[in-house]
Parts: sequence; C-alpha cells; structure tokens
Amino acid sequence: MLAGYDTLITTIALGAILAYSFHVVLMAGQLSLGQAGFASLGAYVSTLVVPTEPIAGSISPVIVGLPVGAAVGAAAAFVVGIPVLRLRGVFLAIATIAFGEMVRVVINNAEWTNGALGLRVEKWVTFDFAWIIVAVLAYLFWRLGPSRSGRAFAAVREDELAAGSMGVDVVRTRMSSFIASGAIAGVYGVMFAYFFGRITPATFDFALTVNGLVTAVLGGYLVFFGPILGAGFLTSVPEIQTALGLEAGWIHPLVTGVLLLAVVLFLPGGLSTLFSRLRPAPVRPGPDYAPLDALDPLPDRGTPIAAVRGLAKSYGAVHAVRGVDLEIRSGEVLGVIGPNGAGKTTLVNMLSGLEPPTAGDGEILGVPLGSRPHRFAQAGVSRTFQHSKLFERLTVLDNVLVGTHVVSRPTYLRRLLWLPSARRDERRALALAWAQLERVGLADRAGIRPGALSYGDRRRLEIARALAAHPTLLILDEPAAGMNHVEAAELASLIRGLADDGVTVLFIEHNVKMVLEACTRLVVLDFGEVIAEGEPREVAADPRVVEAYLGTEADEREESEHV
Amino acid sequence: MLQQLANGVFAGSIYALFAIGFTLVFGVLRHLNLAHPAVFTAGAFIGIEVAARTAIPVWILFPVVALFGAIAGVLVERIAFRPLRGRDDEHFAGLISSIALGGVVIALLQARYGTEPQSFDMDYFPNRLFEIAGVRVTLTQLVTLGLALVLMLGLAWLVSATPLGRSMRAVAENPTAAKVLGVNVGRVTAGTYALSSALGTVAGALLALNLGQAGRDLGASIELVGFAVIILGGLGSLWGAMAAGVVLGIAEALTIHLFDSTWKSMVAFALLFAVLVVRPRGLFGHVKVREV
Repeated sequence: MLAGYDTLITTIALGAILAYSFHVVLMAGQLSLGQAGFASLGAYVSTLVVPTEPIAGSISPVIVGLPVGAAVGAAAAFVVGIPVLRLRGVFLAIATIAFGEMVRVVINNAEWTNGALGLRVEKWVTFDFAWIIVAVLAYLFWRLGPSRSGRAFAAVREDELAAGSMGVDVVRTRMSSFIASGAIAGVYGVMFAYFFGRITPATFDFALTVNGLVTAVLGGYLVFFGPILGAGFLTSVPEIQTALGLEAGWIHPLVTGVLLLAVVLFLPGGLSTLFSRLRPAPVRPGPDYAPLDALDPLPDRGTPIAAVRGLAKSYGAVHAVRGVDLEIRSGEVLGVIGPNGAGKTTLVNMLSGLEPPTAGDGEILGVPLGSRPHRFAQAGVSRTFQHSKLFERLTVLDNVLVGTHVVSRPTYLRRLLWLPSARRDERRALALAWAQLERVGLADRAGIRPGALSYGDRRRLEIARALAAHPTLLILDEPAAGMNHVEAAELASLIRGLADDGVTVLFIEHNVKMVLEACTRLVVLDFGEVIAEGEPREVAADPRVVEAYLGTEADEREESEHV
Repeated sequence: MLQQLANGVFAGSIYALFAIGFTLVFGVLRHLNLAHPAVFTAGAFIGIEVAARTAIPVWILFPVVALFGAIAGVLVERIAFRPLRGRDDEHFAGLISSIALGGVVIALLQARYGTEPQSFDMDYFPNRLFEIAGVRVTLTQLVTLGLALVLMLGLAWLVSATPLGRSMRAVAENPTAAKVLGVNVGRVTAGTYALSSALGTVAGALLALNLGQAGRDLGASIELVGFAVIILGGLGSLWGAMAAGVVLGIAEALTIHLFDSTWKSMVAFALLFAVLVVRPRGLFGHVKVREV
C-alpha cells in the first residue's frame, strides 16, 4: 500500500525533523530563526568530513554524519547564542535570520563548498530510517513535557520574570533550547543531504526557515507531536489535491494558504488542539505520601536571615528608594506600608533580585544583592507580584508545579530511561503542589487555566505557587488588592498560619486593618525612606505615619478597591 | 564611484519606501505583517496591468495603484490580524496568518497573470538618459527618487500633524488608554494598514518600472533587505527606516563595486547582526518591544 509513496512519507519525516528544531525554541518562547544556518553548517561539514564509502564495511555514512551534524549545529548555536540571546521577540528573530543568510552567502562564495553548484553525496536515507529519527525526537519531547526541565521551558515561555522568581535559570534555559534547536537543525541538514543526494546553498534559504516555522506553529508547539501533525498536513495537502484531480498551478498554493489561514485563525494552539482537548482532569495524589516531612527544616525562630544597609535605587533623577537599612529575622511577619510611589515594590524587587540596587549592600539568605532572581529563589526567597504574573497557558496545577522547581531534582534524563526514582520525584512534586492548592482552597480548580479564575483566586494561586517552593522568606506584594473583606480576612489568617509554621513573611499591603491584624513588625516607607519601624500598633500611632499615610487612609481604601 | 553612489541612493529609496510600510504597522500596532512583501508584489502586477489597459500617464498610475493597496491593506488586517486579537499567542499566530495570507495573494496573482514575469510596454514610459555632473541617471530613477521623497515626507507630515496621525501615535503609545479617551482604535488600525499597504504597492510598482518587469518573487527578493532596514533604522521609526534604506542601498552598491555582486546581501546582514549585538534596539530605535 505504501508503494509509490516512499518519497512522500520520507518528506513528511524530514519536514517533521525540521519543525522539531523550531518546536524546541518555540516551547521556550524564543522566536529563533537561524535553523537554516545551523542545518547548512551541519550538512556541509558532515558531507565533507565523513567518508563517502560505508565505514568498516557496513556502517552507512549517515550514521556517522548525524552525530557530526548535530555537534556542528549545537556548537554553532552556542557560539551565535552568546551574543544574540540578549535579544527578544522580533529582534531575536531578525538577528538569527541574518545569521542564516550570512552562512548562505559565505557558503555560496567559498571554494571548499563548491559554491553555488553544491555537493553531491550518495543517497543513504530510506523512509524507515527517517521515521526512526522522527520517533527518537518525538520520544525525547514526549518525556520532556511533564519533567522539571519541560516545566522550566514552559515557564520561561509564559513569563520570564516569574520563571526567574521561581528559581528557573532563565539564561540557561534559553541557551539550552537554542543549542537543542541547533543540534536538531544539524540533524535535519545531514538527513536532507543523504536523502536528496545533493546540497546547495540555496537549499538552506529563508524559504526553508519560513517552512519550518509554519510547520511547527501549524502543528502546535504546546504538545510533543505537533511537528509531525504539521509536517503531515503541509506535505500531504498538495498530494491530496492531486489525487482529487485538482490540477497543479495556482490552485495548490491557494488551497494550502487558505487551509493554513483557517487553522491559525480557528485552532489556537494548532492542529494538536484537536487532540489535546481529550486530556483527563488531574487527580488528587494518593494519601500514601507525606511530602512536607521530606523538606529541609526552616531556620530557627529569631535567626537573622536578611540584612541590608544603605539600600538605594534611582532612575535618573528619581530616587525610588534611598538609604534603607533593614534586618529580617526568621519567623516574623513584617508588614511594609506607605503611600503610592513610596518605593515599596522597588524595595522588594531588589530583595528578590528583579532589580539591582544603585547603592547599598547586604545579603538575603546568603545571596548578595544584585544577583539574578533565580539565585534568591534557590536560597529560599519566594514571591508574588503586585500584578499577578501567572503562566497563562499552563493549568492551575502546572503553575504550582513550577513553584516546586527549587525543591525538586531534575528528572528529564531519568525519565528518558524510565527510572523509578524519576517517577518518585515527580509524584513528590505533585504531592507538594497539591498540598499548596488545598491550603489556599483551589484544589477543585486544578485542571483549568488561570484565565478562568476570579481575581481573588488568581492571587491565591500565586501564593500557592510561591509556597510550593517551600520558602524561608515569602514576599507578598499587595496580596489583598482586589479582594473583598471576607477574602482579605481569610488571607490574613493564612499568613498567620504560615508564620506558625515558621515561614518568614514580608508583605506590602494597603489594607491597614489587615496589616495590623497579621504582622508582628511594621515598616513605613515614604518618598523612598523608612520613616517609622517597630511594633505595629505603636507605629500606627506615630504622628509622622499618620501624616504621611494614615491621614489619607480613606483615599487609599477607595483606591485599593479600584485596583 | 560616484555613479555607484547614485545607484545606491536610487535602490535605497525603494528599500526605504518598502520598509516604512513595514515599520509603520509595527510602530503603531506591534504587528510584523509578513503579507507585506506579497502586497508589494501585487502592486507591481497591478501597476503593469493598469498601464497596459488604460495607458494613463504615470502620475495617475501611482494613485490608482495606491488605492488598490489601501483596500488590500484593510483586507489584510481584517483577515489575518483582527480575528487574533486578545489571544495568548497573538504574536506568533499573526506571523503565521500573515505568511499564509501572503501565500494566498501570490497564488491569486498566479491565477490572474500566470507564471511568466509581466512587463511594462517598452514605450509606456520612455526612459530618457540624463547626465548630471558626470553621473548618468535615467528619468525612471529620478521619478523614483522624487516620488519616494514626496511620499515619505507626506507620511511624516501625516503622522505628526493630522488628527489621524495623532490618533495613530496615541494608539502606538497605549491602545487601551487611546480607546478610553475616545480614539476609534478600529478605524486607526484600518487606516494604518491602508497607508502601509498603499506605500508598499507604490514601492512595488516603482521597482517594476525600474526593472521594466515583475515576477512573483519580487517581494520575496526584497523582504530580507526590508527586515535589515527596519531594524537598522529602529523598529517603528519612520525617519530611521528612511535613513537606513538609503545607507543600505549605498553599502550594497559599494560592495558590488569593491568585491562582487554575490557578496551584496552579506553587507546588509553583517551590518544588521553587528548593530543588534551592539545596540539591541537598532540605531535609532527606542520602542520597547513586547515579548512574544
């Protein structure tokens, strides 16, 4: 039955391999389009380096060529990645396109590549061999999805700042996706060379890039089999048209274009949307696991965990924070209040690594100020944001699972080998995440996306995600904003419960009643400076505080209701 | 040498005209409209057909082409971008939907005009040759340069001094706030696309007039240079795109003069790559780009 369709089926496989090299960067949210360059380098180097005759009598050159191509692609991606990975979005896209074009022009003009005429090799790739490679790639991505690394990719894609604050090393994750993309593109180049028997610089042009990107997005980059769907669709549509008796010419590209447009417009998430709707709802993990027992104990009550001196941050002539000294001891609940623009958020951003201070020094849990966010997270700082930063295309449960990043071990390589310990670690992470969902009362929403949650529930979800990291210091930036007074009272009792468990809490809040109920110490900021500090009731009675802040309490309350 | 510089300026003015359409849409709406090259190609074919059928003079031809372009622009926005508004993957999806729509446009051109390149009649626009200070220029080149200048200055005036331009700048700054303040965002969006595509089609017809003919790959051949121009100029910056277009045209002409035409496109991309590494927002850029 397959007779006569050999070439078609192999072409689908090659298209899928190319699309996987785009898939892996799209998964991590990187619009990197240098794959044509990596494929070209991989193909040319392996063609020139690997002997044309079977090696040791029986090993076909393509078997040797594939690792060569992958290594060349990965190395090139690493070298290009160092300068370009500072770029984001369209800038990254266009810089990488520029790289691909430069490779093409150089190969076109070089002598060792035989210029525009290209190189000829024997045809070694058969359709079963091509599909074995696709199967290997699909397996690699299937095992990646629900692993710690897979979640890190997704988190970086959805929100880099939040991912960093959850302990994901954003730079390293982006670079990994970039290198993987280069390696797969190199594999594609080698497969192409040994299937078509000829490579020219024009093979690896911008049209190839567009083709790979379209295939990857069409299939869907949120599920591991997306590239195969995309390649199958794009390759077979012209064939089906021919089989239906439509003559070639303008009708083929027209139909392909219209179908592609229809998929993009009506199937967000690509063709794979048709299949992934069937995913089962998450279930509560069994009671056989007491995950909280296995976590490291928090520091003893009263241990100093953070000390900063002379902390300042200016934006040009604006001094958002100046001369702040702060010490935090384990087990306390420290409230930070102050009028809008007093520098509260800037202060906690510096304490969690989101912004480097302009002046001042100090350490939070042993991490010096100015380090990148994931270092703070790994040391035990976990936070929420004033405007919630959730991973919108992950389920509620997966959002919280990202939170467990710093208290779990990498599982991807062990998952590839089906080691039982990887399964144990994943179940432990799941149990941890589930415990936090239950703690904030969202366990019954575990399977939906955050977009479907109410405002108050979104804030609770962010707290659950932060708690899943088993933090020593939990920073909450206006957690009660937008909550009604019943919800705010619940939140206050949740915060007190955390303190009873030994978690140190630093929280910014406008709801003064809630602050006085929940915190053990209060710091008041005004115009970037600490104007009062100490026992909450005493501070609240301080005349300077009344003037700076409480005097406008009525306005503030009105405002917080509008946020 | 001087001749090469002049050729560079003429080529560069077409690059600039092509690129300001690109960059206008990006600057106002943050859309990278990849159907733009196809619209550009359509402009060339429409120009050739209208000229052949009606024999109208060249100064009426371009407004007619621009009118087609404006309609095409509104359609591109309606079909490829508006349905995606508010979706999580709006930015990726917009790239793909505009690529798809571009493919449809090219297929329609093939349906109407076949696979062979189309040409202007030899005597449609008699190409006189002038010699100015030892540099030979054709009348077409002069018309190209003049029209490009007029259109670019006109656009700059429109954006800075008219109510539509003010609304466009407001939407570029903050679409939600603009909407709250009573700007009709839907109309500004349509207007931006209409302007962008009108410029694109005129640029296409101009290039065809220079080359004497147009093939279906006319837009694809200029697309990558267009990217280089908008990045060098700073995404969203009109003046930047104009300057960068001319700079690139000259750089390419000099490369051909000093090395070989096969190295021509290397200049654009090496320059682009270097600029992005040193100054990630381009030479004149200050637009903060939303991440995809």
